[in-house]
Amino acid sequence: MKHLKSMNKKAHLINQAINPEQVEEVVAMQTVVGCTATTDPGWELDPFGGLGSLCQPMESDLYGCADACWWPAQVPDTMSTYPDWGNGVAKADEDWRKLDGIFEDGE
Amino acid sequence: MALINNKTKKALSGSGVLLLAGLASLPLAAQEGHQLLRNNCGVCHAESGSADNPVFSRISEQRKSPEGWLMTINRMVHLRDVEISADDKRNLVRYLADTQGLAPDEAAPFRYLLEQDTNLIETGVDAELVETCARCHSGARFALQRRTEQEWQYLVDFHMGQFPTTELHALSRDRAWYEIARNQTASTLALQYALDTPEWSQWQSEPKADVTGRWRVVGFVPGKGEFDAVMLAERADDGRYDLSITGRYADGSELSGDGKATLYTGYEWRASLTLDGVRMRQVMALDEQGLSGRMFLAAEREIGGSIQAIQDQGEAAVLALLPSFVRKGEHAEVEVIGHNLQADSLSLGAGVVIEQILSQGPDSIRVRVSATGDEGIYPVQLGDVAQSAGLAVYEQVARVDVLPQDAVARIGGGGMMAKVRTAYRVVGYSAGPDGIPGTEDDLRLGYMPASWQILPADEEAEHDQDHIYAGEIDANGIFTPGIDGPNPERRMSANNVGRLTVVATVTDGEEVVEGSGNLLVSVPDFVRRVLD
Repeated sequence: MKHLKSMNKKAHLINQAINPEQVEEVVAMQTVVGCTATTDPGWELDPFGGLGSLCQPMESDLYGCADACWWPAQVPDTMSTYPDWGNGVAKADEDWRKLDGIFEDGE
Repeated sequence: MALINNKTKKALSGSGVLLLAGLASLPLAAQEGHQLLRNNCGVCHAESGSADNPVFSRISEQRKSPEGWLMTINRMVHLRDVEISADDKRNLVRYLADTQGLAPDEAAPFRYLLEQDTNLIETGVDAELVETCARCHSGARFALQRRTEQEWQYLVDFHMGQFPTTELHALSRDRAWYEIARNQTASTLALQYALDTPEWSQWQSEPKADVTGRWRVVGFVPGKGEFDAVMLAERADDGRYDLSITGRYADGSELSGDGKATLYTGYEWRASLTLDGVRMRQVMALDEQGLSGRMFLAAEREIGGSIQAIQDQGEAAVLALLPSFVRKGEHAEVEVIGHNLQADSLSLGAGVVIEQILSQGPDSIRVRVSATGDEGIYPVQLGDVAQSAGLAVYEQVARVDVLPQDAVARIGGGGMMAKVRTAYRVVGYSAGPDGIPGTEDDLRLGYMPASWQILPADEEAEHDQDHIYAGEIDANGIFTPGIDGPNPERRMSANNVGRLTVVATVTDGEEVVEGSGNLLVSVPDFVRRVLD
């Protein structure tokens, strides 16, 4: 890697993450309960412990997270489990207010 | 009794004499539970075994927490179109948790998930299992289950069928992930979380305690503060307990409420109660000391605090001291909380002089003390009996820990998704005998009042002004995140997400001590399970 120069932000983050101290810090945040930072990209954090590699705003690609059940523990998967989630909200970046969550019955 | 399967089920229910004869020797609860399984699950889950040891396919090869069984039934309702009444569901969860639950020692390392206290970093989870399972949900979710190896394999298969992207998450392009998951990972799980364990056999044979009666309680409600209360538990006809609770917060304001509790598996206390108009839940574990766990808002499980209770068993007993610390050389008012207390038998050891008894009753004694001794913990004595609660005498607050140390708040409030807030507290420590804060011999003093602020976590967060957009923290240490939706003011219309440092400042005499925690303000979690 020392002969390669990082050109964009994500490449720069990868370079930074090679620093062992940085990696340790990243690992620490990866395991907050239910946090998906070990996936690339994660839902809450990217693999580098930051927000730089995540889709922002998340509404602009939300159904990409749901169609193929990419983060089935955080976004209702419309592929198998909740096929109707998102019905009537074709453009999430405009109609995000209508999107409800799945709240499992706790009683 | 002859083996029974699905095909013979209907015929057998027609010959009820045979059935009842076989079941007559069982306790009523077991008979009822057995029948509930037949009625609600028997269509798909084949029954075998005998009347006093019925076996249902799949079901009998697993053990779980009450919440684990509830999730299983919910999944059957949602994915397999099971129709079940609310009463049957509740009774079935109780029967399964009682007969196929977890021993206290098995659940102990993972109580945080049962208590819905998920703002923490899980430790000790096998790296292979983090990589395969705990990258999407908690490690405790599977660690609170016990299965045969084949059942763990079926769980891998379920994930493959229901959530096919598991394959991509598992880096299937670079390795034979399915073979690894089905053979290696399932085998690791079966080894670590086996169906048959000495702990469970032992727990099943132990006598179970009765929780009816009078309980003395101390706890904490974010925004309201510490409280002490008396809680009465009476057995109701449905096998649950009717609860009533009355008490007061540290600022003198009163607290009262009532509700229902269920004791699962002989020790898992779950209560729903309405406290001054607000629905709350208690998740506690019962042991020889009493009940301990967490109480939180039913509608917002992140907002809660610890709770402890001891049962009135006719003898004098101390539950807690409020506050639990006093500075060396100073005077302070301290309240001793307990049952059957008598002021004339109370002492705090040679280093703490009780100067005056301010008020006294069987549940509480208020005293004015003077801390004359050296730094250390001074256990409460009632007559000759030392209690587990004690008063910490300290020279200086050397370190404060912000709790939770690592937390995730979530934006919301603009549409259907509510904001997910975070409730903070601070625990103070003195440096202990070695004089160095942050070492093992630090003396834990207790929760302390603090002032709060948020800062950007690093340069990048500062550049993106995370501390401006991501939310704010109030004087009670409650962080409220920003509104959801794209924010046109931010670069790329980013959401109001951010990485923050939460700073607590504790003032102790003329000393000022700071502590900090990491807070990630994230996007909504659209799928909230009973156990995430």
